[in-house]
Amino acid sequence: MIACLAIPGLELKAALQRTPTLALRPAALAPEPQGEPLLGPVTAAAEAAGVRPGMRLGEALATCPSLALVEPDAAGAERAWEEIVRALEDAGFAVEPASLGVAYFETRGVERLYGGLEPALRRALAAVGTEWDARIGAAGRRFAALAAASVARPGQVVVVADEELPQFLAPLPLTLLPLERGRYEELEALGVRKLGQLAGLPGGAVAERLGPDGRRAWDLARGGAAARVRGRRPPALVAASLEFPEAVGNELTLRRALAGLVESALAQPERRDRFIRKVALAARLESGGSWRRTLTLREPSADPERIRVALAPRLAELPAPVGELRLELVELTEPTGHQLELLAAGAEDRSRLRDGLRQVRASTGSGSVCTVVEVAPWSRVPESRALLVPKDE
Amino acid sequence: MVTRSRIAGSAGAEGRVVARFNAPRAARVEADANGRPLDVNHRAVALLREEWRVVDRWWTEDPVVRGYFEVVLESGENTVVFHDGASGGWYTQRGA
Repeated sequence: MIACLAIPGLELKAALQRTPTLALRPAALAPEPQGEPLLGPVTAAAEAAGVRPGMRLGEALATCPSLALVEPDAAGAERAWEEIVRALEDAGFAVEPASLGVAYFETRGVERLYGGLEPALRRALAAVGTEWDARIGAAGRRFAALAAASVARPGQVVVVADEELPQFLAPLPLTLLPLERGRYEELEALGVRKLGQLAGLPGGAVAERLGPDGRRAWDLARGGAAARVRGRRPPALVAASLEFPEAVGNELTLRRALAGLVESALAQPERRDRFIRKVALAARLESGGSWRRTLTLREPSADPERIRVALAPRLAELPAPVGELRLELVELTEPTGHQLELLAAGAEDRSRLRDGLRQVRASTGSGSVCTVVEVAPWSRVPESRALLVPKDE
Repeated sequence: MVTRSRIAGSAGAEGRVVARFNAPRAARVEADANGRPLDVNHRAVALLREEWRVVDRWWTEDPVVRGYFEVVLESGENTVVFHDGASGGWYTQRGA
């Protein structure tokens, strides 16, 4: 069985940890500082007052004037989610996080450990704890597990057997499908509002009308493919942080602080000469919120200058002055994988290489040995940078 | 897509056939709803390391619009694939 753990509104729940009293009042996660003025998740009280997630800020305040806006805490939410995933991993589950608040895991390997499917899923809920209102859906396929989690109540486990799958999916709304907003409207205009209605249409007709996305949605509405879950490799825990005596907005100061953090993180003994593949830069903002960006390096590196150069442009995206800056080395690799020279550049080796190439030419014919000639190394199109020119002499 | 012929033609006068280095090769790629590769040539993608877009030669009749993805396959192999906006096809490419 594939299980899906879902925590709707995790970003809001993480942000509310600073002001828990707001959880019982109409409150919503404020829009991102530089994004569209759309609300994030909302509390139950706000929903009862007519406020919906994704609503425009102006419309929401007109609907519910007492609505409290909660500053997003992206770094806090990431940290909380990481703790939840780790708690599941500590309970023996190989977890594949899909997005913030949604993770999949296979139960097959742990069912015997916990005495069956239901006890294993209960153990997973217990590992997460009650404060997050987590719920679990389980089914033979990923999408069906997600659908089951979407109908489960907080703390509930919903298991869907394969033979019940079509009946279970049929009455569920189309919004469960990963489609663009325009596609839902298109389907609704055609009178298709439930998964069962979409699944009942001929696949070819859906693909013709809605393209590959529509075909994929049609597949999912029929249960989806039986893709397996791939447990993640737990991230490394090497981090360095710097707290400023007063909030800093000056980019030059932040760049200097970043250089110090890179040096300090790389020097930590936990890194053990490993190269860095993925880093995260997080900040606690003066306004009370937080900010976080992750970056995967093009090539794993332990060169502080390279890491600093890769991260520095992200500092310009900071929306407010910073009280604390933190650098996390999220993914580390072993110090291998660098391509070494096949032959050292000694005169004797070059002569042997020439002899070898002559023999290859003699046996395979003219044009079989080529040399690479750079013609436009600056080009953004890789195949325009160099040509293969036959080397016949 | 792969314009070998034009290059070969320009060098034909010298009697040598040249080819583009790191020319794209057609690949069978399965992508998710967001267009990110899940499977490359029947091998599952274990990690998406980086993605970027290349938009070039827009002033010509043969513009380049590509979405590149650097992935690590389950076998441990690093590979770069791109989705070509013009043809709608997927290609692997070295040296990207």
